Parts: sequence; structure tokens; C-alpha cells
Amino acid sequence: MFGGLKEKLQAARNRLGSSIEGVIVTQGSPAPETRTGEPAVSTASQKTISSEVPTFVDKVKILIIDRELIVSEKDLSDALSELEMTLLESDVALPVSDAIIASVRKNLVGKHRKIGASIDALVVGALKSALLDVLGNGFNLVNYIQTHNRPVKILFTGVNGTGKTTTVAKIGAYLKKQGYTVVIGAGDTYRAGAIEQIGVHAERIGIKIIQHQEGADPSAVLFDAVQYAVSHKIDVVLADTAGRFHTKSNLMNQLEKIRRVMKPDLVVYVDEAVAGNDAIVRAAEFDRTVGADAVVLTKADMDSRGGAAISIAHTIGKPLMFLGTGQGYEDIMPFDPVQVVEELLGSDA
Amino acid sequence: MLDNLSTSLKDALKKLAGKTVIDRAAVEDLVKDLQRALISSDVNVKLVMELSKAIRTRSLDEQLPKGTNVREHVLRIVYQELVRLVWVSTDVKLEPQTILMAGLQGSGKTTTTAKLARYFQKKGMKVGVICADTFRPGAYDQISTLCAKINVPCFGNPLEKDALKLTREGLESFKDLELVIVDTQGRHALEADLIREIIEINVISRATHRWLVIDAALGQQASEQARRFHEAIDIDGVIITKMDGTAKGGGALSAVAETKSGIVFIGSGETIEDLERFNPDGFISRLLGMGDLKALVERAEEAIKADDVDVNAMMKGKFSLRDMYKQLEALNKMGPLKQIMGMLPMGNMELPEGVYDVTSTKMVRYRIIMDSMTAGELDDPALINSSRMQRIARGAGSTLDEVRELIKYYKMMQRTLKGLRGGGGKFNMQRMMKRFSGMK
Repeated sequence: MFGGLKEKLQAARNRLGSSIEGVIVTQGSPAPETRTGEPAVSTASQKTISSEVPTFVDKVKILIIDRELIVSEKDLSDALSELEMTLLESDVALPVSDAIIASVRKNLVGKHRKIGASIDALVVGALKSALLDVLGNGFNLVNYIQTHNRPVKILFTGVNGTGKTTTVAKIGAYLKKQGYTVVIGAGDTYRAGAIEQIGVHAERIGIKIIQHQEGADPSAVLFDAVQYAVSHKIDVVLADTAGRFHTKSNLMNQLEKIRRVMKPDLVVYVDEAVAGNDAIVRAAEFDRTVGADAVVLTKADMDSRGGAAISIAHTIGKPLMFLGTGQGYEDIMPFDPVQVVEELLGSDA
Repeated sequence: MLDNLSTSLKDALKKLAGKTVIDRAAVEDLVKDLQRALISSDVNVKLVMELSKAIRTRSLDEQLPKGTNVREHVLRIVYQELVRLVWVSTDVKLEPQTILMAGLQGSGKTTTTAKLARYFQKKGMKVGVICADTFRPGAYDQISTLCAKINVPCFGNPLEKDALKLTREGLESFKDLELVIVDTQGRHALEADLIREIIEINVISRATHRWLVIDAALGQQASEQARRFHEAIDIDGVIITKMDGTAKGGGALSAVAETKSGIVFIGSGETIEDLERFNPDGFISRLLGMGDLKALVERAEEAIKADDVDVNAMMKGKFSLRDMYKQLEALNKMGPLKQIMGMLPMGNMELPEGVYDVTSTKMVRYRIIMDSMTAGELDDPALINSSRMQRIARGAGSTLDEVRELIKYYKMMQRTLKGLRGGGGKFNMQRMMKRFSGMK
């Protein structure tokens, strides 16, 4: 998973590396000739050394005296645009990739770099910190449940077809395996077959489900689910809802009502890892109207390059909780940003 | 729905607005903004690069059609290139056929299947639906509920695990129906077993059409997935779903480029009626985030037809009555003279008010009068003496005064155009261009 991005990023990394290497070669050669003139200008250049744009004299001076190089914006522009393409091809939304590139540029430009120091480390460091910055910390659901009053109520939201129902089933199975008792509320009362779908899942994994018939008020269903959990001392309530587009204000209002009625501890926003630029639009809109405390990305097994993870995390600044990685109940994994970034950039670096 | 990006695209276009010569830098700018617009609409990055290369080359190489400005020229190219990509003829025939639905999980196949059944039912066909989704719980309940709402027979069995058997039996029981739609389970290209399954379903059903259902929000993966599906079952049409959200559907563009097929339908809502035939103009406008593309292109296209107004000859002072005749003819198509002059390179030169002071009824009269002239007279108006004038007036059913007025008008136009050329020759022209590009 995310293998594509890893490969791409490594290619870009090599390019960045070689671009900086190129700088050394080109700047290294004229250095000996200017060396004789160096003492004369050194006093004058001393004053300007802290200015933002290093002059040629500064560069030479730093090269000679400190044995360091200054990485300039021009040196990076080619490699950075390559990196930008890479991010875009990996489904990182345009504004987000702009922000990442800007951060990498800011981190690299103007940096003094020891001639002997590893170029790789410099580039990887910048990329890594940019990506970690964006991805934030993961979200540990088990820790959360342990430290909060039972029942912990989790509401799942998202647009149509992202895999909310399947995710609810998977998380139910995951929590059950961790030794928690779980009840599912079948809050998707709109889509034909949705109640049957979650019902079959619940039966297969052996979890109690609270359901009304099709067309019922989802708030009522989920309220009942919470009541059931309270009276039966169940640890976790997983509330499924119907998929809805952020543009449909009546459906968003309905979601607002659900939130008011069942008072969830966590609102989990579910989206698919293969989503493109729209991911940021809808994530922002869901976050704005009903809030989101954590994110689950589904369909990460579709050879996805993980761009959506970066886009969404960057846009709403909420931690990723799980990745859905297949059709089985066990195909879900907790999201660990450090691990993912290590995986993307290669742990050897 | 317009975002910053389309604004920047519009800004780039604005920069080109008044230009009459192709400005390389401005075109580069526009192409760059276009790339950003397309990429943020999820069109495949490689495809965007190819597209923008074609657009750049064509914009710079193709001669600017007479009577258009650069902006219109470039827009037209952009539009043509995009239409070329999405507009493969996808006639939906109302004849007996089998349609196989394919797509990723959660792309909306089942909902679309029901919508399609409704669409063909409304066209008066006898439709049946086979539910070959044996994996997802509730799939059969979903499609059978939807089918029951529209009274379409639905074949399926939630307990049966063999999709092939279901397809075979379903086709057998529906052999009296005209149109059968086979709904399949969601799958993605890396699930080898499922890809094998759909290949077999395709063989068994001998499907007339194999349509790929694409979520409008699908990103860069669209190309790859479409390519693999195409390899497996030879996709011949794409349906975009969930166009009622804010997603732009660029993934579908990648998919049609990959499968060399066209977009057949667009799903844009949750009710069973929310299915439309694909309309490239709306789609492309949405991709670029610009609402008025079609109109702009049409205007440019119109203006091109005014090809016959030979600007260069006029600039050389060779302005004959024939040219004026053509101009008057073009006028009918394009509106007031002032506007035409705005499109021509000498655009905003301040022409004497009298030139515009010709009402459209007068224009018609002038044309009728000119119709009574000989070819020689049209080419060389100096030939026209008073006896010829009388002949012309009689032929056109007009008065001598009217003919004189026409000649006077012609001379005024000629003088004006000569004046434009001025003494400075090339220098003067350039100054004119500059002045022209300076204004909107």
C-alpha cells in the first residue's frame, strides 16, 4: 500500500539530491579563481552576510571559510516542480501540494550545507518534516476508549459510497477482538438494502445491532442504540449513517440533528483513499457543519498512493485513525504517521 | 462552485483578451493555469501534460483566424481538444441488448443500474435487471427494492454465491425481455479473482455494452483502473456518478481517454430519475470551472466565418465595394459594425462617427443597390459615372440619391482605412496594435 508514492518520492528525492549535487559542482569550480580576490571584499561582505538573498560574494565566502554551500531557490526549482508533479500524481490535492512544496522550499533554501554532509539527509529531512507536519499524529482508538466514560459513542459520516457501513463492521470486529463489547446502530435508513447490509455484517461478527425499518428517523435509531448500550453496560456504540453529499443542506441538517440527539464522543469522517481533489472540499465542509474528530480512509488497497490522506489531514487538521485495506473484516489497520512516512521515504534515511 | 482556480484561469484568459498576435508568454501562462485547473479537477496528470502540450503547440503554430483575438483562438483550441477527448459517439440505441455494469466498490453501480432500467423503461423498452453481486450483504435487497419501485423484474438470489450461475439463469429467464442490465459486485483492478470473474460474466452474458461506472471524485487512480478494466472486458462507455457533489469528474476524463470510449450517462442525484445523457459542454465547463465556455467558443466560431473580410487587403488600402459588400453581409451575422471593428485588428481606432451611423435598414438597402452593380464596378468603384448610377438605381429600385449616398459612404470607409494605414507604415501598425492590446 502507498507503494506508488514511496517509489515516486524516492525518485524525486534522488533528483533533489542530484540537483543539489549539481550546485556543488558548478559552484565549486570557479571558487579557486576568486580566491585571490577574497580578502579584499571580505570586510564588505561581512555586513551583508545575514541578508536574505546571499550574494555571490557571500556564497564564495561561506564556501571558502565555512566549507559550506548555500542552497538557492533557483537550484531547487526544477527538482521541486518534479516533486510537485509526483505529489499531484499521487492524488495530493493541488492546494495541499502547493503548501508542501512551499514548506520544503522554505526548509531548503538558504540552508548552509557542509560540503561533506549527506545531501540525501538534507532533502529527506525537509520532506519528512513537511509530511509529518501535514499528517500530524495518528489517533489511537483503543487508548481513547480506555480513557473515556463508557459507552463511547462513535458517529460515522461521509459522502455516498465511501465505505461507511463496511468500516463500521470492520471497526466493530477490531474492537471486539480487543475485548470490548460493541453495539451497532443502523442509522442508514435511506438507502435500499443498507439495513440488511449492516445486519448481515453484525450477525457475521457477532455484534448486537439496533435497527428500525427503512425510512425511519436515523436520530431515533441511534438514540435507541445509545440507550441499549447504557442499560446493557456496553463499551462502544458504533453509529452508521446514510451517505450524504455536503451540498445537500437538508441532509446535513439531519446529520446535525443526529449529533444533537445521540451526543457522540467521536465523529469519524470516512472517505476513500482513491478520492482526488474533491476530498478536501467535502472534508472541509463536513468538518465545518458536523465536525470531525478523526478520519478513516477506505479502499487503501486500490494501489492508492495515499495522497488523499495527506490532503484531508492537511485541510481539516484531524488525525487519521484507520486505513481500510480490503474486503475482509480484518482488513483494517491503525494509522501510524511516523510509520507511513518512514515507509514512504525509506526507513534507511 | 467557482473557486480561486477558475478565477486565475479567467485572469490568464483576460491577459490574452485584447491580444491580436500570439504572445508566447501569455500562452504559456494560460497553459499553466489550465494545467492547474485540470489537475485540481482530478484529470490524470500525464493526460494533462499531453493535453497542454497539444494546446500549446496548436495555439502557437496555428494561424490566428481572421477576426478572432488570441483569447478566443486559444479557448477554441482548448475546447476542441477537450471535446475530442470526451466526445466519442456514444449512441444509446433502443434495441435489444445486454448491458454489463463494472466499477470500483462504492462507485454507485447498483443505484445506476436502477436508474438505467428506469431510463430505458421510460423509452418504452421491456427491461430486466440481474443482480450478479454475490458478495456485498444487502446488495440484492437494494436492487430488488429499487426495481420493485419501478416495476422492473429483478433476478437474483442472496443465498447464491456463484455470480456466473446467476447471470446464466437470469439471462435464461429474461430471454423475452428486450434489455437486460447485469449489475456486478464492486471490484478493483488488483483483485485478480474478481477480474477473472467479470471476464467470465462478460463471456457468458455476451454483453452488447460494458459500461464502467466512475465516481466523480475518483482521482489519479482512474486511469490505471480504467486501463485494467478495459484490458479485461473492453469497456465501451463510461458513466459518471455523484456529479451532484462538488467533484468535477476529471477521473472520468482520464477513464475515457484510457478506454477510448465516451461518457454515456451522468448520475446526479439520489432518486431513480436522476440520470442524464452526457453533455460535453456542461462537463467541460465544470472541469475548467468556467460557465461560459460554449458561448465564447461559439462567438469565435462565428467570427471565423467572417473570413471573407480580408483585413490585410484592406490595410493596404485596397478596399473595394466588394469588400464593403462582404462586410455588410458579415454584419448580419455579427451585430453592429462597431463590434465588428472591435474584433478586427485595427479595433479601437477612433473611426469617424459617421461610419457607424448606418442603420441596419440602410445596410439592407446598400446591399440591394450593390447587387445591381457589375463585377467590374464592385472591384473598381471609380468606374461608376452618372449614367451607370442611373442604371444601378433603376436596377435596384432605388433613387439616384441613395446610390450617391452609398458611394459617399464607401469613400468615407476607404478614407478611414487609408488613414489607419497612415504614413508610418509598419511602425504605425505596431503602434496601433499596441493601442489595441491596451484596451479590453
